[in-house]
Amino acid sequence: MTVAAQAPARKAPRWLARHETLLAVILLVALAGLGAFNERFLTIDNLLNQGRLMTEIGLIALPMTFVIITGGIDLSVGAIVGLCAIMLGYSWKTFGFPLPLAIVFSLFVGGLAGFVNGLVITRVKVPPLIMTIATLALYRGLAEGVSQAHSVRGYPEWFYFLGQGSVLGVPTQLLVLVVLVVVAGVALDRTTFGRTLYAIGSNETAARFSALNVDRAKLIVYTLSGLASALAAWVLVSRVTTTRMDMGQGYELDVIAAVVLGGTSIFGGSGTIWGTAIGLAMIQLLKNGLALTGVKGDATIVVIGAALILSVLVASSLQRRRD
Amino acid sequence: MKSRYLLTTAAAFALAAWSSGASAAGKWDGADDLPTNPLACGAGAAETPVSKPYDGGQPTNPPNKAGKEITLVDVPKLIGIGYFNATSKGMQDAAKELGDVKVTTDGPTEAKIDEQIKFIDNYITSGVDGILFAANDPVAIAPVLKKALSKGIHVVGYDANSTPDAREWFVNQAEFNGIAKAMMDSMAKEIGEDGSFAIVTSTFTTPNQARWIAEMQAYAAKCHPKMHWLETVEAQEDNNLSFNQATTLINKYGDKLKGLFGMTSVATPASAEAVTKAGLCGKVAVVGLATPNAMKPYVHDGCVKSVVLWNPIDLGYAAVYVMRADVDGKLKPGDASVDAGKLGKLNVINGSEILLGPPFIYDKGNIDKFDF
Repeated sequence: MTVAAQAPARKAPRWLARHETLLAVILLVALAGLGAFNERFLTIDNLLNQGRLMTEIGLIALPMTFVIITGGIDLSVGAIVGLCAIMLGYSWKTFGFPLPLAIVFSLFVGGLAGFVNGLVITRVKVPPLIMTIATLALYRGLAEGVSQAHSVRGYPEWFYFLGQGSVLGVPTQLLVLVVLVVVAGVALDRTTFGRTLYAIGSNETAARFSALNVDRAKLIVYTLSGLASALAAWVLVSRVTTTRMDMGQGYELDVIAAVVLGGTSIFGGSGTIWGTAIGLAMIQLLKNGLALTGVKGDATIVVIGAALILSVLVASSLQRRRD
Repeated sequence: MKSRYLLTTAAAFALAAWSSGASAAGKWDGADDLPTNPLACGAGAAETPVSKPYDGGQPTNPPNKAGKEITLVDVPKLIGIGYFNATSKGMQDAAKELGDVKVTTDGPTEAKIDEQIKFIDNYITSGVDGILFAANDPVAIAPVLKKALSKGIHVVGYDANSTPDAREWFVNQAEFNGIAKAMMDSMAKEIGEDGSFAIVTSTFTTPNQARWIAEMQAYAAKCHPKMHWLETVEAQEDNNLSFNQATTLINKYGDKLKGLFGMTSVATPASAEAVTKAGLCGKVAVVGLATPNAMKPYVHDGCVKSVVLWNPIDLGYAAVYVMRADVDGKLKPGDASVDAGKLGKLNVINGSEILLGPPFIYDKGNIDKFDF
């Protein structure tokens, strides 16, 4: 491992550990507070159910953490969810693929959609924000065009296992998420690939001069982002039993909110998967807890927004003190 | 855009040329081929419902709350729009009248099915006695509603149905033949029994519109046999195109054209605008499906006399009454009607649906009471 790649990495976790610890403390306090208000909140049943509901966002938030650490952004994830959901349904129902093949095909389309993002960003040097805004419209338009706004329904019973079933009492998709969180976390903390991402985000020019393959790493993270969106689409279709072109609309904001709340710097160079996982759980449980306490939908969004601003303020003041 | 318009116009002309020869025997353009069931002519003819076995779902061991206070939650497609504000107001009216019902409306701010599912899921956890819903997707909403039933929560739909086995009852705002009757009767009243009219629809194959047109034809044949259908034109649900199509019809038929039907909430105001711009208010009648807010200017300046739709306040009101009757055991599978307060007795149709009644006609006298 090169010295250049190690330097920012060694610096990052020390500060991040503090941000995450703080976040975890806030999460526990919020949990206890909301639990005291409502006896139905802190039940195993409810918490597992919330795990089921947050899985789609969580799956996409993992590669999104990678993307944001490199200093990029991917706004097209929600549109890829819609496109992949449509591809899954249509390749099965209209093109006559067997369902397992249709799932593989949909994952392939998702990976391809992400790959195209990465390719244009690295080769043509289009800023990620511009490129993924463009593909947000493009992919959603494709989903609309292919489906003509019709839905696909009537999947066989086994297909619902992923989205509605459970293993040993734990929702199936939550297990998938937990495994992938660990894989992504270890990949980011313990592999050369992970270090490369921090190096790119801290100083891309320096990373290039250190002979790191910047373009390849970026291509991989955007492809992973597309792939994870496709996986989320599969989980979502299985959970709600139907395919619609408007699926995943607005997901990009929920995903980015979870990542940023988890302490990943929007300017790149720092952040962890563990922080993202806490950020994700925090948003979901806050929403749920408030809803159960009788706060209405519109007011919940206000509280989430306030929590987001507060956490960014805390994070930046911590960072300033460290500097 | 422009080429689509030209193409549609060309197609409409071609079809018109073809149909003017064939219309005597054939069906109206834009009608579907399904069997029709025209209602009896004249006013107030009560329909005897065709009995079909109950096909709704049932909650598992619901607590017996007959006569006790119940807490309901209403999760519409989305909140913050006039239409669902109106259904919500109807629910509050009913709750106040009944006295032993508490109902809150909460839902997504956009008509997104996955958001709606999360709302319902949370309310199941928080433990309500009943859920009222208007589904964003009839199939996708089914699993979460079945979950509610399995936890002993009563489930009643309104406005937009789910698959029947995922809820106990559905309050149906209007049947196709009911809308068709209201449309044809209003038109006959305005242009006379021997007037000629044309129809502006979305496309010839749009399911709801095609159903309405087929029912209108059947009802006209039965009750207004001398009225003359000229032509149906397609206008997507495009404001501009609807206006152009209506203007084309006015120019093409001149004095012969006495009335225009708008089959969509876009086509109706656009047709009214075309008639206004042509200076033919009072000479060419416009009757159609539309929301009151879009039609207020035309109704107030006398260009449009009747707008056909249902009353969403009554719809919400009926939903709460149906829920109360269901919880109290006064509405059971197999029953033929249910008592709904000021709305009187409502009939059960199609197994597990409750029909709100004939469509509501908005006119100068009542349109200002509605804001959606």
